[in-house]
Amino acid sequence: MEKISQSVVKKDHAAKMEGRSIYVADYNTAKDGRKILTGKILHSKTARAKVLSVSVPDLPEGYFYVDARDIPGDNNVNIVLDDMPVFCRDTVEYIGEAIGMVVGPDAKEVDRILSGINVELEELEPVLDLRKSTEAFFNYEYGHGDLQKAFAEADKVFDEEFETGYQEQAYLETQGMMAEPEDLDRMFVHGSMQCCYYVHGAVKRVLGTDNIHILQDVTGGGFGGKEAFPSILATEVAVAARKANAPVRCVFDRREDMEYTSKRHPSICRYKAAVKDGKVTALDIDVIFNAGAYSTLSAVVLQRGLIAAPGIYNVPNIHVTGRALKTNTSPCGAYRGFGAPQTFFAIELLMNHIAQDLGVEPLAFKEAHLVKQGDPTSTCGEYHFPVPVQDMINEIDAVCDYRKKRKEYAKAQEGRFRRGIGMSMYFHGAGFTGSGERDLIKAVTRLHKYPDGKVEILASNGEIGQGLRTTFCKIVSHELNIPFDDVFFEHPDTARVPDSGPTVASRSLMTVGELLRRASVQLKEIWKDGEEQEVEERYKEPDFLIPFHLDKFEGDAYPTYAWGVNAVELEVDTLTGVAKVLGAYGNFDVGTPMDYNIVMGQMEGGLLQGIGYSSIEKMDYDNKGRIRNNSYSDYLIPTTKDVPNLKCLLHVEKYPYGPYGAKGAGELPLVGVPGAYVEAMEQALGKGHRLNHAPFTAEDTLFEIMKEVGK
Amino acid sequence: MVNYAPKTLQEALKLRQETQSVPYAGGTDLMVENRKDVSYLFINRVAELQQVLEDEAYIRIGSGVTFTQALENKLVPELMKEAVSKIAAPAIRNAGTFGGNLGNGSAKADSVLIEYVMDAKIRLLSVNGERIVDVDRFYKGRRDLDLRDDELIAEILIPKQKIEKYAYQKVGGRNALAISRISFAGIVDTQDGKIKRIAAAFGAVADTVLRYKEIEKTMLGKTVEEAKELRETYIKAYMDNMVLTRGRVSAEYRKAVCENLLRDFLELI
Amino acid sequence: MNFYLNGKPVSHEGDPAARLLDVLRDDFDCKSVKCGCKEGECGACAVLIDDVLYNSCCVAMGSIEEAHVLTLEGFRETKQFAALSKAFGELSAVQCGFCIPGMVMASHALLLKNPHPTTDEIREGLSGNLCRCTGYNAIVNAVENAAKEGDGLW
Repeated sequence: MEKISQSVVKKDHAAKMEGRSIYVADYNTAKDGRKILTGKILHSKTARAKVLSVSVPDLPEGYFYVDARDIPGDNNVNIVLDDMPVFCRDTVEYIGEAIGMVVGPDAKEVDRILSGINVELEELEPVLDLRKSTEAFFNYEYGHGDLQKAFAEADKVFDEEFETGYQEQAYLETQGMMAEPEDLDRMFVHGSMQCCYYVHGAVKRVLGTDNIHILQDVTGGGFGGKEAFPSILATEVAVAARKANAPVRCVFDRREDMEYTSKRHPSICRYKAAVKDGKVTALDIDVIFNAGAYSTLSAVVLQRGLIAAPGIYNVPNIHVTGRALKTNTSPCGAYRGFGAPQTFFAIELLMNHIAQDLGVEPLAFKEAHLVKQGDPTSTCGEYHFPVPVQDMINEIDAVCDYRKKRKEYAKAQEGRFRRGIGMSMYFHGAGFTGSGERDLIKAVTRLHKYPDGKVEILASNGEIGQGLRTTFCKIVSHELNIPFDDVFFEHPDTARVPDSGPTVASRSLMTVGELLRRASVQLKEIWKDGEEQEVEERYKEPDFLIPFHLDKFEGDAYPTYAWGVNAVELEVDTLTGVAKVLGAYGNFDVGTPMDYNIVMGQMEGGLLQGIGYSSIEKMDYDNKGRIRNNSYSDYLIPTTKDVPNLKCLLHVEKYPYGPYGAKGAGELPLVGVPGAYVEAMEQALGKGHRLNHAPFTAEDTLFEIMKEVGK
Repeated sequence: MVNYAPKTLQEALKLRQETQSVPYAGGTDLMVENRKDVSYLFINRVAELQQVLEDEAYIRIGSGVTFTQALENKLVPELMKEAVSKIAAPAIRNAGTFGGNLGNGSAKADSVLIEYVMDAKIRLLSVNGERIVDVDRFYKGRRDLDLRDDELIAEILIPKQKIEKYAYQKVGGRNALAISRISFAGIVDTQDGKIKRIAAAFGAVADTVLRYKEIEKTMLGKTVEEAKELRETYIKAYMDNMVLTRGRVSAEYRKAVCENLLRDFLELI
Repeated sequence: MNFYLNGKPVSHEGDPAARLLDVLRDDFDCKSVKCGCKEGECGACAVLIDDVLYNSCCVAMGSIEEAHVLTLEGFRETKQFAALSKAFGELSAVQCGFCIPGMVMASHALLLKNPHPTTDEIREGLSGNLCRCTGYNAIVNAVENAAKEGDGLW
């Protein structure tokens, strides 16, 4: 193991272990000692309606009602498009939308006032059925080759539809944000978030002033869920704090969080494939994502999903279309994998089904189509670096005996319990899609050296559990060859740190980590003992890249790829449909691990989230547009007892442009799990069952079994 | 609101009569409900309710006995332990009690299902005396108990019995922290090749736990051979009687699982 | 009403129906006790009462008269905690940290009852504590290591 990969005790270990870390809900007072007012949101209870009037009961002294009229700046949450308001405009578009906020010193009194508010509405017909939605926030199309010819010459054509459901991030700490008016009209906003500069941009616009600063508090998990939503909540508390001229905090309860905050987009993917001489020659793909009521991050989520749509297979002719459609439901957003899990699920199952139809073992069929270094990507970019997937398949086979079990379970299985095993393979495009890093983010980092030789990292990326405070410091201490304890990285405050971009897209370590390494090289060169020194480093696009054009979806969508292979082994109880995960295996190439334990923790955690997404994590809304699974007892995530046999391997294919060879890591382990899970389920069921959706629950399983006996 | 914390059973019964306050045993259901304007009668410190005893006829489980205590007690029947061991997780089993599981009046209560198949009786106490009620009479419907305002659940009386063969299955959403979506328990004893006793109960599929003693009666005295031949008839009788509700899973799924588990259970004969 | 908090006698005036969770956080500044759901479904607020693990969101104040409540604020001063902290640290078992106080209290409760648990027993002992970050392997292994290296402490 390389020195940089050797694990250390994490910078934030002691504080978190001892329960001393202060999360946003833990502050007793504001920074200046003032009492914190409690803010609670008046949520829409209707999926779509015109708001005619809001009558607020007489407010006791010290209590405020806040809504769009109190916004000093612009009533738009700064995300991608200008459609999401801070507080609703003339209409409400989903259950949960913020109409206003009640603020005051006593939480119970705030609740009482909230329940006394009367909202007069004119109900409108909501759009709830994704298939019937006609309003596309985003509509993309790309392709290459000659689709018509390929389909005309095909030996066989396949046409299948695949569906995936919501996934809720279910971070243990709910969304929470606090705003504190400071002297000289400055607004200080802090809380649980991934991207302090996103929040900064949003608050600035809503307050109409740059006289603000944003601090990331200790954040209890994100997984994408704290990429965009914190911008919404932050603007709401900031407006309230301005009106009350007092510190205001809003911490969601679990039900609010599960029901009203962003989740993974449900999807319907239709795949048509042309097959000739045992090879897939063309793919015609149409993807729709349920964006919810506002566009938020759906553009970028959809882009990533579409780019991944053909999987990691060489198919000469492809055509991909995709739309993010509006429904009157909670806006969907970022979640680990960011659009790709949906399409990887579809392509993996499609490949299985084609192989089975051709009488070939799916793994062999996939292996015959694998991309390799030098091949073009779906967007006519290039796989510039080695593709280690074949080796990774062999390594995972050695650990779980995949090929042998696959054969064994293919035999007819009788009796109450049936077993199956499945495998999926995929990538995660490391970093932002396309030229976002170069054109939009333009990351800047600094290293500040103090006279005592201690070095502080100044970057806007946030520790959300993934270990960034540790890995960043490891990179700097390694490059400067100074003790790990002499390097520190605090939670970012936009008053102090430059904008090195958001904590998203598995970019922080690969992209910002490399900037820090280069900054360390600079600092080393000019290092003078006893002096205060600072160096700065800015993002430069690697020169090997084929420029990406979003209008055509052409070029290198990603500089490099992290690779993943999963195997899942199941045993199904045919009486109840309940599946037991006998083993969940992952082999992951994220380049050089910046810390073995930290990377392993990411891989294991992501893999388990993937098992949840595939099986028990089911969320849906009713015919009013209300999400029914809004608590930890209704939306189930895995416990310690659900996948006791979970094993991850690391395969290292270094990326020369990442720090010491590191690539994006965080999202990868979740991305492809449903493909392996549902394939295992298909094999366990046997008898020609073809499955096409995830999560695949016990209920789904039993209904599938019931088809066998024609019940 | 006023709350009460008696130390003895007598004190508790007196307070219950005087105040009609809500008995608080483990709190795991009550605190989730988080009712406003409620007075609690904290009976969790009443030692008399926290014993497991036996007499000639019964294993007597005090209403204040927690699931963890039951799992560590030699007198508690194995079938009950199997069901109780699958409740939620340690912190809930440490707090949750037999009395509370009953008192919540839910068809999902895992210990209550076992009480049904084992023909348990519920001993109720008030300052005016005691009543002993069969569990299936005590459980009238969803959140509808045969419990008077002045009564407390004192003990669960499980008739001592030798169980020859039993089946128990809990279908939850996951392997821990799972509320039953369907639960099934069945007991069958044979003597001289004939069915001497049969009991089957279904939990979490309707407003209350379901057990059909009339159908069971039709099986009693049948030889094993006869019972096997009549198996599908029995199953049909059950299925015709069962009206299931949807909850976290559909009614159709519940019905299918109930039928499968019943059929599997009848294989034991 | 009176009870003991981390070894010290304390008293609380207020609604006996109040959640122990809220009282610990708001009145006794025990901010290690986290609120994750208020339904007993996540374990983030787990504490020990008379050496037994409870979810403090599901405990009413009126039920703990004279009881000994132990939160991480008290437990972190012990040798047992030091053993757990070392083991968690060596395996980087702490990620976002929000589940950790409950997880640590559950680990302690488990080891008090069963100082040499098997892996399955550890998974059972921690089964009421949700963690969304780690996939649990590191936590389970850390508890196993703490039990071995801290032999005799429990």
